Amino acid sequence: MTLILTAEEESLRDSVRRFVADRSPLTKVRDLIAAGEPYDAEVWKQLAAQLGLAGLIIPAEYGGAGAGWSALSTALTELGAGLVPSPLLAVSLAAGVLLQLDDDGARDRLLPGIAAGDLIVTLAAVADGGQVITSGDGDDLRLSGELSPVLNGAQADAFLIPARRAGGTVLCLADREAAGLTVTPLTTADHTRALARLRLDGAPARPLAGDGPAALAAAGDLVNLALAAEQCGGMAACLAMTAEYAKIRVAFGQPIGAFQAVKHKLADMATARELAYAALRAAADCAGERPGKFPAAASVARVTVSAAYFEAAADTIQLHGGIGYTWEHDAHLYYKNALSGKVLFGDPGAQLDRLAATLRL
Amino acid sequence: MSQQTAGDFARRARDWLEANAPRRRADAPGGVDEEGGTPASITEQKAFQAKLYDAGLAGITWPAEYGGQGLTNAEQIVFSRLARDYDLPVGAFVIGIGMPGPTILECGSEQQKQRYLRPMLRGEEIWCQLFSEPGAGSDVASLQTSAVRDGDGWVLNGQKVWTTGAHYSDFGAVLARSDPAQPKHKGISMFIVDMHAPGVTVRPLRIATGSAPFNEVFFDNVALPAGSLIGTDNKGWDAAVVMLRSERIAIGTMTASRSSPLSHESLAALAAKLGRGGDPAARRGLAELYARERAVALFGQLLREQAMSGRDPGARGSVAKLAAAELSRFAANVAADVLGDAIAGTDDDEVRAVATAIVAVPGAAIAGGTNEIQRNIIGERVLGLAKDPGVDRDTPFSQLRVGTQKPGSGQSPGGPR
Repeated sequence: MTLILTAEEESLRDSVRRFVADRSPLTKVRDLIAAGEPYDAEVWKQLAAQLGLAGLIIPAEYGGAGAGWSALSTALTELGAGLVPSPLLAVSLAAGVLLQLDDDGARDRLLPGIAAGDLIVTLAAVADGGQVITSGDGDDLRLSGELSPVLNGAQADAFLIPARRAGGTVLCLADREAAGLTVTPLTTADHTRALARLRLDGAPARPLAGDGPAALAAAGDLVNLALAAEQCGGMAACLAMTAEYAKIRVAFGQPIGAFQAVKHKLADMATARELAYAALRAAADCAGERPGKFPAAASVARVTVSAAYFEAAADTIQLHGGIGYTWEHDAHLYYKNALSGKVLFGDPGAQLDRLAATLRL
Repeated sequence: MSQQTAGDFARRARDWLEANAPRRRADAPGGVDEEGGTPASITEQKAFQAKLYDAGLAGITWPAEYGGQGLTNAEQIVFSRLARDYDLPVGAFVIGIGMPGPTILECGSEQQKQRYLRPMLRGEEIWCQLFSEPGAGSDVASLQTSAVRDGDGWVLNGQKVWTTGAHYSDFGAVLARSDPAQPKHKGISMFIVDMHAPGVTVRPLRIATGSAPFNEVFFDNVALPAGSLIGTDNKGWDAAVVMLRSERIAIGTMTASRSSPLSHESLAALAAKLGRGGDPAARRGLAELYARERAVALFGQLLREQAMSGRDPGARGSVAKLAAAELSRFAANVAADVLGDAIAGTDDDEVRAVATAIVAVPGAAIAGGTNEIQRNIIGERVLGLAKDPGVDRDTPFSQLRVGTQKPGSGQSPGGPR
């Protein structure tokens, strides 16, 4: 196992970092929030096409870069650090699931569009598996039920939907325009993460060929890696911001970082970040190189990062004091992002249960 | 190192370990040697270390001219990974080879390197490290053991504490106050002391678990001959910082043995054996322990990989040390949750080993630098936060108050400790 980044990954990290600083600084993110936009279409186009992030995990035959999840996690970490709103997480999970299944038609139809950044497909999977049921069969399969929250549901062109039918769970593909499919944007805790409720009233859908439950289990692991990657970036941003403030804010005649009450909290934050990053790198390495070890490694990363990021974001507000609790300060954006990422696709308790099952405890 | 030599080295090391060392057993009772080794086991360890050295597997990265193998970190890492699966009876040499050894390599005289390093590596002479004092723990620079010039040599007086292996050591690296008129960090020197010299008294120090893995050491007019000084007069603090940094990396990145009673693996097996693993909270606790254990181990690996690729770990060894101490505290809580009232009283050997390990946990947050000191180091040397102003930094040591002061005593050095 190798935990340090490859030269290619380092170069990708640097490109994305520069892009975020130039094209999507937090001032621009705030403009989007004020305008109620889920993300900046122009920024997404550049991320997708210019930096090639939308096709990072998609094989070259479908127009992607075939670089793999370790590279993607490197990019997600930088986007997470800048709280850059984008559908990258949604489309990467959808592409990951399509690559797990054996449906050539769906791959041919969807993957090139995803890789180009023209098509948004989202995986409508929720923590408890959801309650969507099927009726009809074959060419006349219909779905009914509700799924919420769905990543970028209101922006998606198509949905991958787990549904129950006799014999188990099947993954289905439904188009945005399908009759009986309604999407309602949700009020989100995290202004940078667009979520929606998906309602299906006998909506027509196509069952996807392949092992649905296995693909969903794999999706759970990919979610854990991808969210851990984003959150590790958010955590690094919190640490950097707070350490910097502790050097320049003076109270009682000295920089507040000289006080152990502040210094020790920051040391704990730095320690948690180091552990989180190491766990993230191990999961990223396993995603490509060690599939047998990936489920446990991805759970470890998610469990380690999600809890630590939320603590770090709360401490970021605390150590900034009053200014950290104002709307104009960025700390609350991270706090809300940490909160949202902590509970999406399975809260910490559910994650521990999942890890326990993987470990056969 | 080329692929060829890397492969050769790995093969040679594996063959040797397989032929000469017992495999680590996962079901072994939580087995650190708490007494630090009996006389018989020291003899055994010396014999083993000599074989290890003669096979070219000790002092892997040390220069060949001083008895080392002259190889790189890459071979060292290969060996450490292989050795994890075996029980190597080399505990008595860990301190010397890990701390005084590298310090002598870096700061010692040519004569010291020639005289001491090879016998240290071959296990012929065992070393200890003498820093802490009853009045100088976290603030070790306030130490009061004195070294006074006497002709070409020095005379040593004072008391050290928490000395691992002093009772079977031949030599020690000792920090002493050589100039009390200087501020506290500036009047310290490091010496080599012969632990068999007249005036050296070693007493076992019994700790909370009831065992005595450490010692108190008393120096009563011990003569240090010429050539005992390591590095420069009154520059001992710099050498000590180097040594303590190696210590933290060593402690923090030590891979917890899977057979340790508080490891995820041991606790999960024990919970299953006792039928206590089914409780949902216990199950989550064990899963979280696994996650935390992995994260700490992975950070250790990341530090090693970064070091190999040329990035100095710097003070981040403190992160590893702090994280390892916090992990064992978490493990103690999980163990108590999982095993319940059996921890309070048991006739099961495995449960008793867990209870003993829980009692040992607070020590991990103190030994090798307290968690609080590690947090200071991380804050100041990793994050670059302002140092504590340190009201004592520029005051001559002779005018400082140190150690434990009784109310109203207001004593200068040598006050109650």
